[in-house]
Amino acid sequence: MALIDKYKELVDLAKQYGATVSDEGKVLRVNGEVPSGALKDKMWEIYDRIDPNFKSNDLVLDVSVNATEGGKVKVVTRESNLNIRKGPGTDQPIVGKAAHGAIITLISKANDQWWLVRDNDGEEGYCYAQYLEPVQ
Amino acid sequence: MKAFRLVSMLALVLTLGVATTSCKKVKDADVQTAVQTALAANPDLAGVSVAVLNQVVTLTGTVKDDAAKAFAATTATAVQNVKSVVNNLEVVPPAPDFTAIDAALNTALVDALKDHQTVKAEVKEGIVTLTGEIRKRDLPTLMQKITALNPQQVVNNITVK
Repeated sequence: MALIDKYKELVDLAKQYGATVSDEGKVLRVNGEVPSGALKDKMWEIYDRIDPNFKSNDLVLDVSVNATEGGKVKVVTRESNLNIRKGPGTDQPIVGKAAHGAIITLISKANDQWWLVRDNDGEEGYCYAQYLEPVQ
Repeated sequence: MKAFRLVSMLALVLTLGVATTSCKKVKDADVQTAVQTALAANPDLAGVSVAVLNQVVTLTGTVKDDAAKAFAATTATAVQNVKSVVNNLEVVPPAPDFTAIDAALNTALVDALKDHQTVKAEVKEGIVTLTGEIRKRDLPTLMQKITALNPQQVVNNITVK
């Protein structure tokens, strides 16, 4: 079965939001931005349902939530507080913590992995983007 | 009469001369050397072999793209005493260089795996292979971090607890 058919439910949803879907033969690649964290989570749920525990190694699902610089983001760690670092990298010193569940300000995106934020105490620094979810 | 003899002698000399020139055989080996020299000027044509038969040049071997293939033929055609060129070159694109991609992935993986100490990752030619173990609830988080690095492929050999 072609990958595009195997992941049809996911592909249809992705395309609906303008994501790029490319079948590279061995791997299906889905790249794009979706409007909400809930939608991203839904896509991952579908992925996990079609391919339990992501074991088939035939999909690269790279969707991020559309985040506006200057907008608000929520700290979506599992339970811990989120490190705010001086620079974009885990080798950088920690300059503060953003509380789990807190809504803070996204100043700018240094890259896809590290975003510059300002927490509610006015502390500025870099956080790992996967633990930040834009709020509308 | 004397003048006529002179003219006919001249004519004879000229005829002989022309005959000598036209008889001077072009050696295929010389053409081959000349074509090889011309091609050697371009490092992109290092994989080209040259054969010559009756001044017809046949190019075989591999080049990296269509432009190099066409350029080889143009170069060979321009060589003296080449009648025509049979271009049997095969275009084989070079394997992509993953050095920079792998280095960037390795750097980014340090951050991505920081909160997943029981998982290890290896990178080869843009493919990230994950080993180790993880709790089910942390797996999607980890996978999202890895795919966000946009690797060629993720090979998930992690044991899910």
